[in-house]
Amino acid sequence: MAHTCCQHRYKVNTEPSKAKRTILLIEDNAGDARILREALADAAGEAFELEHVSDLSVGLERLSLGKVDVVLLDLSLPDSLGLETFAKAHAAAPEVPMIVLSGQDDESLAIQTVHEGAQDYLVKGQVDGRLLVRSIRYAIERKGSEEALAKERDLLHTLLENLPDRIYFKDAKSRFIRISRAVTAQFQLTHPRQAMGKTDLDFFTAEHAQAALKDEQQVMQTGQPIVGKIEKETLPDGSVTWALTSKMPLRDKKGKVVGNFGISRDITALKKFEDELAAERNLLRSLIDNLPDYIYVKDVQGRFVIDNIAHRRLLGVNSEEEVMGKTVMEFFPADLATQFTYDDQAIIHLGKPLLNREEPILDRAGRRHWHSTTKVPLRNNSGRVLGLVGISRDVTERKLAEEKLQQANAEQAQSKAALEIALADLQKSHEEVKAAQFQLIQAEKMQSVGRLAAGIAHEVKNPLAILSMGIDYMTKNLVSPDANVAPILGDMHEALKRADLIIHGLLDFSVPSALDLHAEDLNAIIEQSLGFVRHEMSAAPIQLVKELAANMPPVWLDKNKIKQVFVNILTNAIHALAQGGTLTVRTHARQLGTGEIDRDAGSRLANRLRSGEMVAVTEILDTGPGISEDMLAKIFDPFFTTKPTGKGTGLGLTVTKKIVELHDGTIEIRNRREGGVIVTLIFKVSAEKG
Amino acid sequence: MEKKRILIIDDEASFTRMVKLNLEKTGAFEVREENRAAYALTAARDFKPDAILLDVIMPTMDGGDVAAHIRNDRNLKNTPIIFLTATVSQREAGQAGFNSGGALFLAKPVSLENLIHCLNENIRPAAKPDDEPLNR
Repeated sequence: MAHTCCQHRYKVNTEPSKAKRTILLIEDNAGDARILREALADAAGEAFELEHVSDLSVGLERLSLGKVDVVLLDLSLPDSLGLETFAKAHAAAPEVPMIVLSGQDDESLAIQTVHEGAQDYLVKGQVDGRLLVRSIRYAIERKGSEEALAKERDLLHTLLENLPDRIYFKDAKSRFIRISRAVTAQFQLTHPRQAMGKTDLDFFTAEHAQAALKDEQQVMQTGQPIVGKIEKETLPDGSVTWALTSKMPLRDKKGKVVGNFGISRDITALKKFEDELAAERNLLRSLIDNLPDYIYVKDVQGRFVIDNIAHRRLLGVNSEEEVMGKTVMEFFPADLATQFTYDDQAIIHLGKPLLNREEPILDRAGRRHWHSTTKVPLRNNSGRVLGLVGISRDVTERKLAEEKLQQANAEQAQSKAALEIALADLQKSHEEVKAAQFQLIQAEKMQSVGRLAAGIAHEVKNPLAILSMGIDYMTKNLVSPDANVAPILGDMHEALKRADLIIHGLLDFSVPSALDLHAEDLNAIIEQSLGFVRHEMSAAPIQLVKELAANMPPVWLDKNKIKQVFVNILTNAIHALAQGGTLTVRTHARQLGTGEIDRDAGSRLANRLRSGEMVAVTEILDTGPGISEDMLAKIFDPFFTTKPTGKGTGLGLTVTKKIVELHDGTIEIRNRREGGVIVTLIFKVSAEKG
Repeated sequence: MEKKRILIIDDEASFTRMVKLNLEKTGAFEVREENRAAYALTAARDFKPDAILLDVIMPTMDGGDVAAHIRNDRNLKNTPIIFLTATVSQREAGQAGFNSGGALFLAKPVSLENLIHCLNENIRPAAKPDDEPLNR
C-alpha cells in the first residue's frame, strides 16, 4: 500500500463533503491498515475519508497542511518509535484529536499517551468497525469541547490577566477564590493564588474590610447587585485609593448563591481630579462669597443665577433663594432697574463689556451710593453668550471725598477770590483814606482861606462903602464941564461893583451857610438859570439844546444856591463858546452804577452817594476848546481862573463845588473826546434831607 | 416938610461924612455923625433921631451892645435902628435890608439909593414914644 500511499502523499481532498471527516492513518503495517480501512468502510463508509501514510515524517507533512479531523497513529513507525511518535505528532497538530493504535504488548504505553493528550487508544486486533467509529466520533467531539473550553478559559484568563479593572471572586464567606492580575498587583502579591482563602481583612484596614463585607453580605442575601458604588479604600500602608465598584452574587448552576464577585475600577485619579475641582470650586465660592465687592451672574434674561453674600446684603435679602431667578426689577426702583436692564442687554447682545463705570445706586434704605461696576459677557466653551458676570464696588466714600475735594478746591478758589476782593477793598479803602486825607487837607486849606477871606471882606467892604458913597455923591452933585468926568465916575462905579462881587464871592465861599432845602423841580431850576444867562448867550452864535427828561423826581435842593451853581457853570460854558457852538443841557434820573463816582479828574467823592441809589443827573456840555489837563487838576482851586482879568473872579467853581458838596452831590468836569467840556452834576433823589 | 433926623454911628469917619453929605444933599435929612461907639447913647439922647444907622463892628463896643443900650432907653427904644454891616452881602441883605431878630441890616457897600429907600421905609411920619416897635 506504499504505492497507494504514495499516490495520496501530497493529495489533499480539497472538496470534502460536509458530512465526511478526514482521517489520517499513520501506519507502516499494510495489513493493519487494510483491516482498519475495511472495518471503517463497513461501519460508516460514506462518513469518513481515510488517508493513509506509512512514515511519521510524511504524516507530519500532511498535518501541516491542515484539514485533518482525526489522526490514527501507530506508535511504532519506521522513522519514530513509542511515546516520541505521539509527542511529535501532537506537537505538530495539538488541535487535531489523536487516537493511538497499540499492540497488545504495549497497552501501558498507550494509556500514557492518553495522559499526554491522546483522546483514546485502540488495541490492534481487538478493533471492530463499530468501536472504531465510536472512538473516532468521541475523539472528535471531545477534542472539540476541550478546544472550546480552552478557548473560554483563555478568554477569561486574558481578561483576568490584562484588565486594569480589578476582578475578584469570593465564596459565601467572602474569601477570595480568584482574583485578577490587577487585584494581585494591588495586594502586592506575586501570584493570584496567594489570595486564595484570604479576605479583605488581610489586605485592607478593618474599617474598609467590614464595610465591604457588609455590602457583600447584602448582595448575597438579597441577590441584588450593588452597581457603581464609589468606595474609599485604605490600605494598611496608609495609601488611599478610590474605586468604582459593582458587586454581584455568585451563583452555582442551580442558581443558588454561593459567593459573590465584583469588579472595581481605580478612580483615584478621577476622584483626585474631582476633589481638586471641588476644592477649586470651593475656593472660588469662598472667594466670591467673602469679597466685599458685589458679585453676581445673570442669565440672558437678566435673572440672577449666582451672587455673593455682599450682593445679597446690598439687595437686602438673607438667602440665595430670595435672589435666584429674579431680576433687578424686583430690587431697585424702576428707572434704575430699567437702566441696568438696558446695560445688561447691551452686554449680552453686543458682547461688549462694561468696565469700571461709576453709577449712582439707591440702596434699600433709599440712600444714595456710588458703584464702580464692571460687567462682562459670560460665554460657554464654544463662545456662545450665556449671560453676564458683574462685579461692583462701593466707591461712595471715594466719590464723596472727591466731591469734598472739589468743593474744598472751589472754596479755596472762593476764599482766594474773597481775599482778592478784600485786598481790593483794602486798597480802595486805602485810596479812600488818602482821598479823605487829601480832602481834609483841602478842606483845612479852604477853611483857612475862608477865614482869611471873611476878614479881608470885612476890611475891604468898609472902604468900598466909603468909595460907593463918594461916587454916589459925585455922580449926583458934580456937574463938570469936563466931558470925561461922567464916564470916569461910571468906570469907578463899575470897578466898585466888581470889587464888591469878589468880596461877595469870598463870603459865599467862607460862610458855611445852612441850606434851605425843599423838594424842587430840577428842570425848573435849570430853566430859570438859563433865563439869567440868556443875555450873555446872545453875544455869540450859540445853539442851545435842551434834553430835559420828563417826570424827573423831585430833588431836595436849596433852590437859590443851586441856581447860583447852574448860572456859574452855564456862564463858564458860554464863555468857552465865545466863537459860537452848541450848548447842551441834559437831565435824567437813574440808578447809580458801581464805581461810577470817579474820584479823580477833578471830582471829589461825596460820601453819601452809593451805587444802586437813585440819582438826578445834570449834564452841561459845550463844544468849546476844552480845558488842558494841567488846568483841569486845579479847576476847583480858589482864585484859579482861565479868564482874563475882569471876566471872572476865580471863585466861581470853588463856590459851585462847595454848594454841590453841601447838597451831598458830586460835580465832575471832563474834557469830551469829541471836543469841549462836559460838566456832570449828580444829586440823590431818594430820601429827604435828615 | 420937616427933615428926618438920622444918627449914624460908625468908627469910619470918612464913611459917616460921605453918608451925611449924601443924605443932607437930598434936603430930606439932617444927619449927625458919631464915630465913637461909647458916645453913641449920649449922642442919641441929645439928637433924638428918627432913625439910627449903626455899624456892627467897631473897635471899643460893637453895634449889638450899642443897640442894646439904645433899646433900654425909654425915650429911644422905639427908634428904628438900621445896622450897616460888611459881613452880610448885599444879596442876603436884600434891597430893603433884611430882618434878623427884629433888627434891620444893610450890607456895605450900600448905594445911596438903597439907603434912602430903606430909611423912608422904616421911619414913621409921626412916631410916638410908646408905640409898638416898628419891626415886629
